[in-house]
Amino acid sequence: MRNNIRIYLQGAKTALATRMAYRADFFMSMLIMLLVEMTVPMITILIYQNGATFPGWDMYEALLIQGVFLLGKGIAAPFFFGIVWNTIERVQNGTFDLLLIKPKPVLFMAIVTGFDAEDLGKLVGGITLFTIALSRLPAPSLGEWLQFLVLFLLTLTVHFGYGLILASLGIVWIGNYRLYEIFGSITTFGMYPAAIFSKPVQTVITLLLPVAILGSVPATALLGRPSAGTLGAVGVAILFLLFSLGFWRWMLKKYTSVGG
Amino acid sequence: MSVRSFFLTQIFIWRAVYATRTTLNGLTLEQMLTYYGIATLIGCLTYDSTDWDLQWSIRTGSFLTYLLRPISYSFLAFAQKIGHRILAFWVESVPVFLIFFFVFKIRLVPAEPAWALLSLGLSFVLIFLTNYCIGITAFWLTKTEGIRRAFLSLRDLSAGMLIPLTFFPEWMQKILFYLPFQFITYVPTRVFIGHYELAGVSLPIPQVVALQFVATVVMYAVARVLWYFGIKRFTGVGA
Repeated sequence: MRNNIRIYLQGAKTALATRMAYRADFFMSMLIMLLVEMTVPMITILIYQNGATFPGWDMYEALLIQGVFLLGKGIAAPFFFGIVWNTIERVQNGTFDLLLIKPKPVLFMAIVTGFDAEDLGKLVGGITLFTIALSRLPAPSLGEWLQFLVLFLLTLTVHFGYGLILASLGIVWIGNYRLYEIFGSITTFGMYPAAIFSKPVQTVITLLLPVAILGSVPATALLGRPSAGTLGAVGVAILFLLFSLGFWRWMLKKYTSVGG
Repeated sequence: MSVRSFFLTQIFIWRAVYATRTTLNGLTLEQMLTYYGIATLIGCLTYDSTDWDLQWSIRTGSFLTYLLRPISYSFLAFAQKIGHRILAFWVESVPVFLIFFFVFKIRLVPAEPAWALLSLGLSFVLIFLTNYCIGITAFWLTKTEGIRRAFLSLRDLSAGMLIPLTFFPEWMQKILFYLPFQFITYVPTRVFIGHYELAGVSLPIPQVVALQFVATVVMYAVARVLWYFGIKRFTGVGA
């Protein structure tokens, strides 16, 4: 375990050093990452400032949901979601083979070499929004914090599952960066209170695809007004992780080298 | 988040927002969805990746191979864009149009087709030229991902791709009015609708398209100047 952590930290250090070769671009990218992630919260603020609401939710409650979503994304993106672009890029240019011959599991190596330093800007954005929104709301109880932490752990698990599925698809669907776009579109629903959508949409994003768990479900637990189907969402998140791990193994077997 | 697929979420969000009201900021739900439909359609038809392609080839050194060819890089890149967008017309624009028409019962038909087509054409060229300029900055910066993201974000925001600009506070609308970004997407969107208004200023369609033409010419001149100075800095190592 200690050895794996050391390898991971070395990967992060290398990624950071590589990115610092273009220092100005790195810092600008980090800043922009932060600002880009603030787009949806900004739209939410504009909607509320124009006198409209998400029915049943005040502005800071809605922003808290978006803060939780961005916090999850902010942790996933730099630390492990890099498996997606890393795998797609390596399969496309043939260097995926190099991961296969390492004396460590391919998945672990894909995570280590996929550390994305500039995505730390997303994490800063997530922490900022989460903190601001939370400071404007009544303080949650200890029980609500505990529920939130358990659910937020599942949020990260689901992010990891999505990462695995997208990376797996990248093995057989060569060079397709549009996968990000599809993922982005689907998961955006997690930035809004699930309860504002129609029943069929709620069912889809809670019990069919684990999307509400990315923001709405843990945030509503923290607000003390848990979403309908929270327990079901937990089950779906666990099943999703198992499915994604199986999918990764299945797609890995289908990998055919193009020779670099 | 890609603005081209952004509309799918927006439809559900705005339906929820409009559940308790009939108009918002003077727009009905149908008008709001029409706005997003047009913006998405224009986004599909004019999308451009010249900035990324150019900076990539400069950074990797493969740009050298383009210099050896008997045609200019800008012509090649523009021709590639036309090819990509012709393909995208069938696989992106037509499906978006059909989704809006059959699923949401919204007809994305321009108010004045000739002006809309002209404005769309100018937007097509303008996006290419601005992205080309972003790509050229790689002669100085080598890696331009940060500038590129900054530009795209500013463009999408100030072009009203994410929310109609009339939702912004008055002071911000005034700033956006004087920024050139509006000519890329906001102007063609408004020309498509048949009515231009920003920061309390209304302009006739021919006048706003003429301003868009001027912006395109200015951008062309900027691109030429940047290229003139940038190309002198290129050293073809690692091709």
